[in-house]
Amino acid sequence: MQTKSVRHRGTRELAGYLPLIIFAGVLVYISVNAPNFLTLRNLELILMQSLPVVLVCAGLGVVVMAGGDDVVSGGIDLSIPATAVLSAGIAAVMLTQGWPLAVCGIAAFIACMIVGLLNAALVTRIGMTPLLTTLAMFVAVVGVNNVITSSRRINVDHPFIVALRAQDVLGIPLGIAVVAAVVAVIYFATHKTRWGLHLQAAGGGRDAAEISGLPVRRLLGQSFVLAAFTGFICGFFVLARGSGSSPGVQDNLMLEMVLATFLGAAFSARRVVTMWGAVLGAVLVAAISIGFKSMGVNVFWTGLIKGSLIVVVVAFSALAQRGR
Amino acid sequence: MRNYISAFAVMVGLTAAAPAFADGHLSLEGKTIGVAVVGTQHFWDREAFNGATSTVEKLGGTVVPVDGGRDNQVHADNHDILLNNEVDAVISILGDGAVEPKFEALKNAGIPVFTVDHPSPHAMNNTTSDNYYMGTTIGRYMADAIGGQGKVAVFNAFENALRICGIRAGLWKYVLQDYPGIEIVQPELAEEFANAPEDARKKTLDLLSQYPEGTLDAIHVGCWDQPAIGVVQALEEAGRTDIVVTALDGGPDTLEIMAEDGSPFVANVAQQPNLIGSTSAMNVARHFAGEALLPQTYVDVVPVNGQAEAKATYEALGYGSLN
Repeated sequence: MQTKSVRHRGTRELAGYLPLIIFAGVLVYISVNAPNFLTLRNLELILMQSLPVVLVCAGLGVVVMAGGDDVVSGGIDLSIPATAVLSAGIAAVMLTQGWPLAVCGIAAFIACMIVGLLNAALVTRIGMTPLLTTLAMFVAVVGVNNVITSSRRINVDHPFIVALRAQDVLGIPLGIAVVAAVVAVIYFATHKTRWGLHLQAAGGGRDAAEISGLPVRRLLGQSFVLAAFTGFICGFFVLARGSGSSPGVQDNLMLEMVLATFLGAAFSARRVVTMWGAVLGAVLVAAISIGFKSMGVNVFWTGLIKGSLIVVVVAFSALAQRGR
Repeated sequence: MRNYISAFAVMVGLTAAAPAFADGHLSLEGKTIGVAVVGTQHFWDREAFNGATSTVEKLGGTVVPVDGGRDNQVHADNHDILLNNEVDAVISILGDGAVEPKFEALKNAGIPVFTVDHPSPHAMNNTTSDNYYMGTTIGRYMADAIGGQGKVAVFNAFENALRICGIRAGLWKYVLQDYPGIEIVQPELAEEFANAPEDARKKTLDLLSQYPEGTLDAIHVGCWDQPAIGVVQALEEAGRTDIVVTALDGGPDTLEIMAEDGSPFVANVAQQPNLIGSTSAMNVARHFAGEALLPQTYVDVVPVNGQAEAKATYEALGYGSLN
């Protein structure tokens, strides 16, 4: 009996590592077959392309931390990508009208904060489900952005925006440095401060946190505002990446944000959404997309391959979780 | 009679293009060519992509294909992958301003860029339809279809964002200057780049409730015709098929709609996307053979005025038969 249970535990632990092993295997396969995959330039390319996703994933990570990781009833904020394109849209329109960057930034910041506060109020005061609230907010904010930009492409060549894309600081691209700093600050705030520990306690067990006197609703509300702030920053990276604002960017961003964040949970030891898991998820998804494209995989197949890989990884993660 | 003339013109055009393929000295043997396309969902994009990739392969080259999934941002980013792959040349199909810095980076790395439907200072050559002729022709056809006067709504999201759309919509408006009786409804409508038919359907239904029966005469799509599919659906749903629809591109899907009896979709200008993609690939080979290229290569278009010409063009372009 005993040997059987030990063997079972061993299998379970192996199953727990399978998501990582599968990803590692695919990456090894890609590096063997794709030209120049294991180069510094390609690593930089992968990081640069994942920056907007990393930012919104960090924001979503905070909301999930505060509200718990049940996708329907826990903390989730689907509106962050819309907030990001709103920030980009306002900045693009105002920059082309000749306003100074700081003024554009303040206007975008105010708009994004309004979105965050609205989310917070609807969820914590009125008691709406975060999933539906933020989905509705996504649609509404995209609508507002369509009005602001007239649904048109706007080119932006402001030196600051160009620098976010192309400038190096001490050999590191400015964009990567800025995003690393933002993520580090959010990580510090959520893991190393009293506020952050309260936030995690609120998400980990709502009832227990309430009994111990934590302001659970306020903490959740604050997480929505922080998420909107990551959307605000992300807006400038959306502009930098696209040298302007193109309509429709939010859709792909939302898909990748949700995928990367919950894929990231498969990499964490406890199968929960963590900030690092989300960031790692975002970078790995970008690495694999770039890898398949570099290998010259038929374009009609890449979506299927990527989707299947994610399903397999998440399924193994769920299996490992069930065995626990 | 006219439809036979158009059909004949297309055949002559295709025959004239044929010797290019017989250019025995052209080869892409040993070359790796990146082909970046903005999306493969729409006929035009897919055909241009297929034309380019199959011709590169026919000439002995290897293709690295990348697809933007109808997202201009992803499309632009895909050029970084081609740069990192150190391909020998890049064929880039469509795309908005987001691709310009990528083209510049490719050029600086010594990788020549060949564009399709996207004039750029960083490209060796742009292969495209005769957009000037498309814009003026559709202007004349539309004006004729509404008897030279009336109110026209236009879907025109890309006039300022894409040069080809600037030419097509700009010249359409230029023609309308000579029709003082035609008024363009303000504000102009802006269609979405992805999911265009459904988006245009909703926007048309809104427009129709704003302009009751007898107050709107035509709806024109300024740069392409995917939105026109949704426009026609909306007109049929609302029973307002007295309103005339015109657009540009003329793929099989929209020619089929034009060929239906009593269709409100009355005029179009058909392009030859497969030939455009293929011509761009030939231009890459010409470049490597040391031939000088003009900045723009124009591929013939086929004006389509009315049901009969839609059927004839459908057949002449090899899409099958609608009779």
